[in-house]
Amino acid sequence: MSHARHTEEIAARWLLRQQEDGWSADDQTELDAWLDAAAEHKVAYWRLEHGWSKVDRLAALKSPSAAPRRISRLRGFWRPVAVAASVAACLAVGAAVWSVPGLFQAKDFHTDIGVRETVPLADGSKVELNTQTRLRTAVTRRTREVWLDRGEAYFEVAHDASRPFVVHAGAKTVTVLGTKFSVRRNGDQVEVAVVEGRVRVADASWPAVTPPPVLTRGDTAIAAGPSMIVAAKSVERVANELSWREGVLTFDQSTLADAAGEFNRYNRKKLVIADGPTAQMRIGGSFEAENVEAFARLLQQAYGLRVDDTGETVKISQ
Amino acid sequence: MIDDATLRAWFFREVFPLEPALTRYIRRNWRNESEVADLRQEIYARIYSAARERLPLQTKPFLFTIARNHLINQAKRAHVVSIDHVAGLESSPVLVDAVTPDRHVTARDELRRVQAGLDRLPPRCREVVVLRKIEGLSTKAVAARLNIGVDAVEQQMVHGMRALVDFMAGGPGKIRRPSSRKPRASEAQP
Repeated sequence: MSHARHTEEIAARWLLRQQEDGWSADDQTELDAWLDAAAEHKVAYWRLEHGWSKVDRLAALKSPSAAPRRISRLRGFWRPVAVAASVAACLAVGAAVWSVPGLFQAKDFHTDIGVRETVPLADGSKVELNTQTRLRTAVTRRTREVWLDRGEAYFEVAHDASRPFVVHAGAKTVTVLGTKFSVRRNGDQVEVAVVEGRVRVADASWPAVTPPPVLTRGDTAIAAGPSMIVAAKSVERVANELSWREGVLTFDQSTLADAAGEFNRYNRKKLVIADGPTAQMRIGGSFEAENVEAFARLLQQAYGLRVDDTGETVKISQ
Repeated sequence: MIDDATLRAWFFREVFPLEPALTRYIRRNWRNESEVADLRQEIYARIYSAARERLPLQTKPFLFTIARNHLINQAKRAHVVSIDHVAGLESSPVLVDAVTPDRHVTARDELRRVQAGLDRLPPRCREVVVLRKIEGLSTKAVAARLNIGVDAVEQQMVHGMRALVDFMAGGPGKIRRPSSRKPRASEAQP
């Protein structure tokens, strides 16, 4: 066993012992001595304490009245089907978490510049809002609808054939049954990228006889007004486009102008590209979305560009 | 000198939430996966010692500076890593890490993560953790309920605690059973 694992094992035993009944002052003295013996002991113990306290919070969420009932219910069949019972217990705990009031009532969501937020919907789907995004949701027993007023969102839709999941982005409607995809809207320009499954993109102005295009994994649709291009990009490129979900911007042969535009979506401090030739430079790589300064520093170091940071803007020139 | 209560609160509030980013950083810059946990613990210990003198104004750059210096020192000591590697490590200002996702984790996400971590435990271990920790049964009562020894309950709790804490910090959440101790390359030096 590595020395870290060894220390962690001992720390775990201390922490568990400390939570047993009958923990005495002598025990505490002994623990303190162990903790003081090495900084490694202390940090290993604190780390477990920190993580373990989150499990406590899950336990605390169980309503006190429900707890004894659940125990007595489990007692009857626990031993014969121990595995099934433990799954049932987990499900019961899950239900307690999911029924916490107030979590899923809100219908209107928006994020400020540089903020990302994940919103669970009542049907089990998840919506992740990117920077400067506004959307509304309505999930009922029969319908699941989202209106993307502006910005970008990534959807993980719980499969439910009886309730299509519909995203309205301006005149476009994106319809799915259960899949993972993102929609980005800037005025009447709409971009849909599919990570998994199939989605159908339709425009309100299209005649009903035109079958709307269906996008599958790795496809991207870009629409401006009623016209739309479907590009079969690679799965990897779609993944790159969704790297904002990790707080990272990924560029592959993008112009500096486009890259600056992307950074400016996330930051109050704006990148300004001073001249045409600089704006047309091609760059690639992954960068922290919220670290304009680091990006500018890289341009300076790697490309020898001039960087003037005024506090409000960062001007890039040759 | 900063007292331990303050340091502990600071670790809880600012250091441990950065663990997923720290682990990724170590993993990216260190070839031997089996040494990641050791390096992380050493880095935490160094952070503790340094912060005892004075708490930094900004935790993230402080943490990554210590992490980077530690990796460089270890690499130099081990004589196993090429100079290119160290040079690359020293001049990577941009890709330190995308730390933002970790900071935005809400209490709700955390609960879901606990739930997911529990679901990943092996059945017997999960049973023990759910009964002891979630249902609040005593260790003895859990042992009686499952018809196993108190020692077995304690051992499962140790496994479960470590796996859950690991999973919540972005790790795989797998149980690590004791295995034969392999010395680190750096320790092989006289």
